[in-house]
Amino acid sequence: MIENGPIERKPDEELAREARAGSRLSFEELVRRYKPRLFVYFRPRLGSDQDAEDLVQETFFKIYRNIRHYDPAFRFSAWLYTAANRLAVDSYRRKKTAAGRIGPTVANDADLSVRAAEDTRSTSLWDAARTLGGKQYRVLWLRYGEELSVDDIALSLGKSPLAVRLLLHRARMNLMKRMRPASARAAAVTVEETKAG
Amino acid sequence: MLCRLTRWLISRAEDGGKEMPRFAGRHAARCGACREYARFAGRMSQQFSGEMPAFLAKVPDTSWDPAGLEAEILRTQDRTLSRRRLALRPLPAAAAVLLAAAAALVLFQVVKRDRPLSSAEKRMAIADLKSVAAAPAGFEGAVAEADSLLDRERRILENSVVSAFEYLQDRLNIMIERRDIPKTL
Repeated sequence: MIENGPIERKPDEELAREARAGSRLSFEELVRRYKPRLFVYFRPRLGSDQDAEDLVQETFFKIYRNIRHYDPAFRFSAWLYTAANRLAVDSYRRKKTAAGRIGPTVANDADLSVRAAEDTRSTSLWDAARTLGGKQYRVLWLRYGEELSVDDIALSLGKSPLAVRLLLHRARMNLMKRMRPASARAAAVTVEETKAG
Repeated sequence: MLCRLTRWLISRAEDGGKEMPRFAGRHAARCGACREYARFAGRMSQQFSGEMPAFLAKVPDTSWDPAGLEAEILRTQDRTLSRRRLALRPLPAAAAVLLAAAAALVLFQVVKRDRPLSSAEKRMAIADLKSVAAAPAGFEGAVAEADSLLDRERRILENSVVSAFEYLQDRLNIMIERRDIPKTL
């Protein structure tokens, strides 16, 4: 018998080990845990919710196909995001080839600027992070969302640890700039309320 | 410049790298912008964690296609099974290939051997035979040439043996006599 306890409490690595041994239930639990996380990871990079959903599904299919290669000595999330990143790169390339153009699409740029404008009204750090653009958002997500180490992030993204540190630094600087107007507004409101009070 | 360096060192310390040098700490204590950055970077982890549930709650209820997974499972099982079949039975597969090759060879030989000559081929073969029969001098010439080649070879061998004898006589200071001289030597 593979399942020994409440499946929700099991760590990812154990679930992945069980899935590797053939447990469908364990794999579905991994899907349940990571589906929304992968969605928010992919979404800013892709054109629509549907594209992000498709890529999430494709990632899990790929993971299922290759689960026998998973080594439980490594973090499951690092392995998952490595596969996810490769698929995302492939998908992005396919789309660019299909559209017959190189570089960011007009729609994506517009999308980003709209989101940047929305961000000035938002005080959520994650919402602001989403507006930073692909690489910076991705490293922030992997560092703070998935709590991966810099080395694991480097492995997942196929970059050097120094490049990841630089990206994280730039992301923090940019994020602070974006959050500053909101916090300044909040401070101003507080001052006004204090005066009114 | 010092602000940039200090902020980079703050970031590096946040990412589990080296500890921030003391000069950077002293600068951050004096510089308001760097202090703000240090505070912001220090709070990020907690703030991100705190906002995570709300952020994930905004994710639309993504449709997960269990049928797709079922199909993928079946495809994976098929691939694994076919791979196993090949991996576990290499000998029968090799035997089958050999058998097929042997059968093809035999069939080819039989067909080739049993194939009757066409009338044109027959005519050509008869013409060749006739041309050979019509020129016996040519035959004899060819045989004589082959004989002369053999003679020349024999003479070379004889000379080699004689020179070997002479060499041995000179070297060892002995006399080698031929008692029963073969006709050819």
